Amino acid sequence: MAPLFPAFQQVRGAKGNAQKGKGKNKGKDKAVKPDRRGPREFRQKNLKDMDQFALCDAMRYLRAAEVGREPTNLKYEVHIRLRTRKDGPVIRNMIRFPHAVQTESRICVICPPGSKHAKDALAAGAVMVGEDEVFNAVKEGKIEFDRCLAHPDSVAAMNKAGMGRILGPRGLMPSAKQGTVVDDVASRVEMLRGGTVYRERDAVIRLPIGQLAFSPDQLRDNLRTTVEQVKKDASGLNDRINKEIHEVVLSSTHGPGFSLNGDFQSETSPEPALLTGL
Amino acid sequence: MVNLFRRMRKLNAILDIRAGTGAAILPNLTSATKEFPAVTRLHLTYAQKIYQGHAGARHFWRKCMPRLKYHNPGISMTVRQTQDQEVPATLTIYFAERTSSTANALVGSTALTDAHAPPPEKTEKTAVMSLKDLSWTDIWTRVQAATGAQEIATTSEDAEALNKLEEMRIKGEKDKVRVQSMRQAKKDQERMLAEARGEVEKLKQT
Repeated sequence: MAPLFPAFQQVRGAKGNAQKGKGKNKGKDKAVKPDRRGPREFRQKNLKDMDQFALCDAMRYLRAAEVGREPTNLKYEVHIRLRTRKDGPVIRNMIRFPHAVQTESRICVICPPGSKHAKDALAAGAVMVGEDEVFNAVKEGKIEFDRCLAHPDSVAAMNKAGMGRILGPRGLMPSAKQGTVVDDVASRVEMLRGGTVYRERDAVIRLPIGQLAFSPDQLRDNLRTTVEQVKKDASGLNDRINKEIHEVVLSSTHGPGFSLNGDFQSETSPEPALLTGL
Repeated sequence: MVNLFRRMRKLNAILDIRAGTGAAILPNLTSATKEFPAVTRLHLTYAQKIYQGHAGARHFWRKCMPRLKYHNPGISMTVRQTQDQEVPATLTIYFAERTSSTANALVGSTALTDAHAPPPEKTEKTAVMSLKDLSWTDIWTRVQAATGAQEIATTSEDAEALNKLEEMRIKGEKDKVRVQSMRQAKKDQERMLAEARGEVEKLKQT
């Protein structure tokens, strides 16, 4: 599967490097002041000390920890710890699971009304399509969507209408850098529905990965897709950047985190069929 | 991500899920006997506040239900917390085919119905127990009597681990007092020094 979305690179701490690392008289500075920024890489603990679990065992504990909670908002979460440098590009991408995790998000598309793109976007499942009608609704404070896309032809009109001031703070403003100003609006709408955005923060990628009612097989499929895509993202970043997966932790909305050992079942785990449903 | 050792300490919560009151296997379709038919589901309803005898039911959910769920992963267990304080706290046990005789005896002649419990299927029979003013341990003994649940003894390793945690907790309390007195002494010392310095300044000014 090709990455659905090109991984965007963002250089973090580049400014700080330029100021500190490349001072005027390097040799002299070094002799007086040792490097006080600490290690360049995130420190990793040895996982031999950690108890690790098979997927079914972790699910059994999590389902026990979540018993009696409101079933509609219970989710499995996954935390992927990476071996990486503290600065440099971060992984930031979107994923579409084989088994959809959340209910579909409402998408608004800003494009010239009546055009072919508008029709396609509506057909693909956008809830709001148009230019002026969208702008008016937003100005009245009726923001009834979770994602916003724009067609390049409408960007000028959008900027003129001052959408940035309202949509910007909510993180809804379309921009080419975010990949939300696109020519092929319809296909992107289709992708956004049921897609989950994730990004690396402090060497960890966290994302919801399944509903609590999922069977172990469904969860395994989602987990496998996620790990494969993260690996692909990491290899696609840059030749000199080296990122590897260090640890995968499965958790849930209220439950503790279980470090996974990569096995599906252990000898003591129950039948996978018993771990399904609520 | 949080420090590994802190995460491991947090994971000791799974000891609590595995062992303790309520760690028992309910009779299922293969292990059902004449006396105790298989249990298919459980449903608990109680009110948000503890008045009018709703406290035990909530504790039962918090303490016993995770253990029951861990040892009976296939049995669906639902909990409903109502806003209405007048609704009686009840536990509905769904039996396959017929209710056990002890469950009938425990339910007695009072015919309770739980409006929040999911309706039983054709083959299921329900026993609705009132939990009003019962402590959670009482509730558990009644559930055990009604269903014939086989309790699982705590393994020696788990018992050892629990003991160790308890020792750590006691030591932690002692250490807390000790460290607090040390910090307080240091603070007092600093304050005294600051006051003395202030007096010197005053003398200089006058």
